[in-house]
Amino acid sequence: MDFGLTETQELIRTTAREFLADRSDSSVARAVANGDTDALESLWKDIVELGWPALIISEEHGGAGLSFGDFAVLLEELGASLAPTPIVESAITSRIIERFGSNDLKSDLLPKAATGDALITPAIVERDASWDATSPTVAATKTDTGLVITGEKRFVAFAEQATHALTLVRTDKGDPALVVVPISESGGIEQIPLEHVAGTPVSSVSFNELEVPEANIVATGDDAIRTTEELIATGSVARAAQLAGLGRAVMDATVEYASNREQFGQVVGSFQAIQHHLAEMAIASKQVNHLVHSAAWSFSQDGYSVERAAKAKIAASEKISALCWNAHQCHGAIGFTWEHDLHLYTRRALAWKTDYGDSSFHKSKLADAMGL
Amino acid sequence: MRFDFTTEETDFRNQISTFLDEMLPKNWGGPAGLSDDDGWALDQRLRKELVKRGWLVMGWPKEYGGADSSPMMNTILADEMAYRRAPGLDGFGTRMLGPTLMAFGNEEQRAQHLGAIARGEVQWCQGYSEPNSGSDLASIQTSAELYGDEFVINGAKIWTSMGHRADMMFMLVRTNPDEPRHAGISLLLVDMKTPGIDVQPIVNMAGVHHFNQVIFDNVCVPKENLVGDLNDGWRVGMTILNHERSGIEFAAGARAAIEELIAYINNPDSPVHSAKSDPAVRIKLAELSTEVEAARLLCYDVTWRHGQGLEPSFEASMSKVAGTDIYQKVLEYGLEILGMYGGLEPASPQVELQGRFLKLRMLSTATTIFSGTNEIQKNIIAQRGLGLPRPPRPPGLANK
Repeated sequence: MDFGLTETQELIRTTAREFLADRSDSSVARAVANGDTDALESLWKDIVELGWPALIISEEHGGAGLSFGDFAVLLEELGASLAPTPIVESAITSRIIERFGSNDLKSDLLPKAATGDALITPAIVERDASWDATSPTVAATKTDTGLVITGEKRFVAFAEQATHALTLVRTDKGDPALVVVPISESGGIEQIPLEHVAGTPVSSVSFNELEVPEANIVATGDDAIRTTEELIATGSVARAAQLAGLGRAVMDATVEYASNREQFGQVVGSFQAIQHHLAEMAIASKQVNHLVHSAAWSFSQDGYSVERAAKAKIAASEKISALCWNAHQCHGAIGFTWEHDLHLYTRRALAWKTDYGDSSFHKSKLADAMGL
Repeated sequence: MRFDFTTEETDFRNQISTFLDEMLPKNWGGPAGLSDDDGWALDQRLRKELVKRGWLVMGWPKEYGGADSSPMMNTILADEMAYRRAPGLDGFGTRMLGPTLMAFGNEEQRAQHLGAIARGEVQWCQGYSEPNSGSDLASIQTSAELYGDEFVINGAKIWTSMGHRADMMFMLVRTNPDEPRHAGISLLLVDMKTPGIDVQPIVNMAGVHHFNQVIFDNVCVPKENLVGDLNDGWRVGMTILNHERSGIEFAAGARAAIEELIAYINNPDSPVHSAKSDPAVRIKLAELSTEVEAARLLCYDVTWRHGQGLEPSFEASMSKVAGTDIYQKVLEYGLEILGMYGGLEPASPQVELQGRFLKLRMLSTATTIFSGTNEIQKNIIAQRGLGLPRPPRPPGLANK
């Protein structure tokens, strides 16, 4: 066991903190939440230049070849800064394509994703809002050259910015298929932007007889389900890492507030009632941090640990959202205002706790893995 | 960042497991069903075997009979022993007093006591709490007055675990009556056979005689039994508490309980086998299992810090709070899964799982209270960990 960070990880953390302090304060998060797509795209351009979206992609495909544990350290900082950016969407789809896609697909798409010329986002969820990969309804008809896809995916993050979606469909033979589809072209695609608590773009995306070449198929049949499950697990640990960073930031801000706000002639942080709230937040924050690192580390071994991924997302979803509500309580009335930044964190936590499966979804996965 | 154990550590864990397979009675589910005497006999038998294998004080330096083992190996030993609910590790001697004598004891004290602890020959008990001094430990009143070559002790200690088995006690006493709090306290070593000591049993809510009240009536102790400097006992005594708190035994107990529950409902012969297919049970067990892992990682973090030479302080408070909390929750949920069987005492006909979830749930009530209540631990986390100021104290109490 080693709970410390490697030199590389320390460097990632320091670099990320410096960059984000300069480039991604809460005014950027507010601007993007208000629909300022220029702010979003300008931040993304800088993040791409730092090489972050391809941090865990091999050098052969334009990435940095670092580990998922290294990536988790970066994601914590991004979560703490509320950076409105599609890094998780881009990184996890690239990782899945690198692990399971054809050589053609890899050499075509991954270098583009690394340079920001392509942005691939997962499109898994449908009308029933479920992250269960076994029952897609979006229909795909097989042709001589590939698939023709019709149907709707919902809650697709950053679809407006994305060039491609990695989506799960059901072929006319009844088999599922995981496939990369271009979504930035006008023909055969309709997007409905949603208004979402995340404060970042989320859309429903409809395919209308959209033609996709065979080379874009990443996996079919049971492989498609397994691969999609890995995509979801990867996304859930990535979100858990962002939640861990977000939780730490909210806790630090609450300690700071409680150390300065005075009532009854002393700072409220000297009262046991507040201290116990904060102590519980500190425990939760550390626990989520450790569970995330344990899960992220497992991705750098053979495959990944289903149990650790589930535990990380269960704990992050429940504990960090609770931590945010607890922070509101400790802040009193000021934390209830639109002007104060606290709700920006709480909103993001609410969005992230559901992304890639909420705690109930992962508890069910975990129960399966535990032999129940 | 690395979240697995080395081959050496895993091998060691397996060795302990094999050792316990050999040593523990058949169908062993823990000491909850044993009488106090049988439990003590098993403790003594296991302790001798731990000594034979060089494990009892393996974390101690070689010069005192240890093996200089890493904190990680020590925690693995404590983890595996607690996971199997095996007695014998003797926290008072090996983990509390031993390291304190190495830090504060003089040559004679080390020579006299460390070897006996390492050989598993002596049982120590801890004399800290008093009837009027629980969480507010610095208010202790039991006095030790120096007359010539002897301290004369008068007062009472309470919640003294193992007091009725102990050969020796390390105790906090007030040696300066003019200093009502921290500055007037010393640490003394006392032979439990000294005239004037009366050990009175207290039976706990689980029906077990584990702790005692110990009355001191003009008990004479040689002045050589003072550890550290006179009136410096608070610092010495707190070192003992820091050694006490690693927390792995609670996470280990919770891990054992949850695995036992899963195996139990998976067994088609279990009368509550239908719980296996209840989605609410699946979800709850997954949730508890996540919490157990979250608590366990905090304990291993404390151990890792220890190994890195970073003295754990509030981190140990975190693992204690998280570990004891989840331990109680898992046991409580076990009673819920057992349904009406959950209410059967160990000796009852038709009892399930030897009635140990009921017994352990009762016993576990103490875990969030002893060694500093969880509320006190949260104060420590807030003040030492987060840097928040101490709460205002009532007038008359030194705010130190």
